[in-house]
Amino acid sequence: MTAHSGNSGESQGIRVASVDDIPEGEGIAISSDITGTEDDIAILRDDNGTCWALNDTCTHETASLAEGWVEDGDVECPLHSSRFNLKTGKVDGLPATRDTVPHRVEVRDGEVYLFPGERP
Amino acid sequence: MTASSVVSSVVVVGGGIAGVSTVAELRKHGYAGELTLVSADPIPYDRPPLSKEYLAGGRDLDSIALQAPEWYAEQRVSLVGGAVAVALRPDAGEVELADGRVLSADRIVLATGGRAVRPALGEVGSAIHVLREVGEADRLHTQLVPGARLLIVGAGLIGAEVASTARKLGAEVVLVDPLAPPLAAAVGLEVATWLHGLHTDHGVEALTTTVETLLETPTGVAAQLKGEPDSREFDAVLLAVGLAPETALAAAAGLETSRGILVDAGQVTSHPSVLAVGDCARRRDHHRAEHWEAAQRDGARAAATILDAPPPPASAPWWWSDRYGLHVEGVGEMRSPDAEHTTVVRGAVGEPPFSVFTLRGERVIGAVAVDDSNAVRAARRMIDRGVDVRASDIADPGTDLRKLLRGTR
Repeated sequence: MTAHSGNSGESQGIRVASVDDIPEGEGIAISSDITGTEDDIAILRDDNGTCWALNDTCTHETASLAEGWVEDGDVECPLHSSRFNLKTGKVDGLPATRDTVPHRVEVRDGEVYLFPGERP
Repeated sequence: MTASSVVSSVVVVGGGIAGVSTVAELRKHGYAGELTLVSADPIPYDRPPLSKEYLAGGRDLDSIALQAPEWYAEQRVSLVGGAVAVALRPDAGEVELADGRVLSADRIVLATGGRAVRPALGEVGSAIHVLREVGEADRLHTQLVPGARLLIVGAGLIGAEVASTARKLGAEVVLVDPLAPPLAAAVGLEVATWLHGLHTDHGVEALTTTVETLLETPTGVAAQLKGEPDSREFDAVLLAVGLAPETALAAAAGLETSRGILVDAGQVTSHPSVLAVGDCARRRDHHRAEHWEAAQRDGARAAATILDAPPPPASAPWWWSDRYGLHVEGVGEMRSPDAEHTTVVRGAVGEPPFSVFTLRGERVIGAVAVDDSNAVRAARRMIDRGVDVRASDIADPGTDLRKLLRGTR
């Protein structure tokens, strides 16, 4: 997959994927090299096809939320099943106790644009 | 509703995952009354890391806290830390603490957990260890230095995890278990055989035998293994042979106990105002699950009972374990193939990621996965929803199990 920041400036977001690249109920990780954030960012697509973005690393142990299970408004960590709200990043299920960081995502013309550091 | 049925105070005794889940679920579902959590530890902590990351070192107690210290105030939970309950008076609704304080409440929830079983082989002391509490992990850690000779008695999940951690720290490990292989009932014979073989691959001497005697010597422990002519010398020994539920408080108060504090489907003990959750509790018709999530779910059920709310939906039991950098998960029940049951392998056993499913007819009843958590997530939903599946679909790694599941929703 290619991902690039383009020349369109911060306000347009970073084009990170085509929406068809992300199956419903799954996610992909976008490297911090591209997002410019401390952590990688997981783009997660829910069962309704809507895309969400959270910091990729689970706040409990080192695991990629992009490899998690997306269902009922949450992503479930692939290691210990900590659950995070897709929209707010809040912990919905232990063992994680610290919320994660949500980021704004927009889909335009079938392309996913990420706004790192902006709240959804 | 009569006044007596309104619960306005709850005391939870025990600061493990079951106790903390009980108080969290009560608040989550709108309980507004007094809520007290009695914990032997100043801050309740999570136990799974004690045989893994925490035992390996470089982590502090804060990093394994079940909740941040400020959470208790935010949730209006009176955390009575460093306190031990010494008496329970169910009719009076009272719990007495070792320092003489008496807490009273409309409902008391026992979440007293369990202790590591100590077989009568030798006194637990400076060189003979068990592993359940953070202090026990700290003591064991100090002995896991490069070249140290460690004997682990019992190759279940805890014994295997400690073997893996000890190897990472450079210790020499002898792992003893009478079963060949251990865990066959939990993961099926084929996966159990492969998992146990990982010990040998990682330089552990894995022996199918038992320990006859342990004798502390000035330099360590002399262990006599059954079938060996001479005893062997070790620097440290870990006894990892199981869990004994902590039922003393309940039994002394006259509650019914039998391999656990007996509870009904709503976690209520033989006394209507006392509930029990987690490793200390057992449903009459069930085995104790002894897994992290089972304890958490007990807490959710107890909270629902106290609030007179519908119980949370049931789900197949789920667990995880880690060894040698591999992540193992299981859900439901694994059975050997017979007239009723089929074993379906997805991928190849021994080549992670892979998973193994047990089907009864066209229904999934259990699954085990190595480095393929989402297969177990899918299997769990198939079990919970009673989905009909084809063995050929499950066996094909090209089948997207989420799509398969979604197609049936």
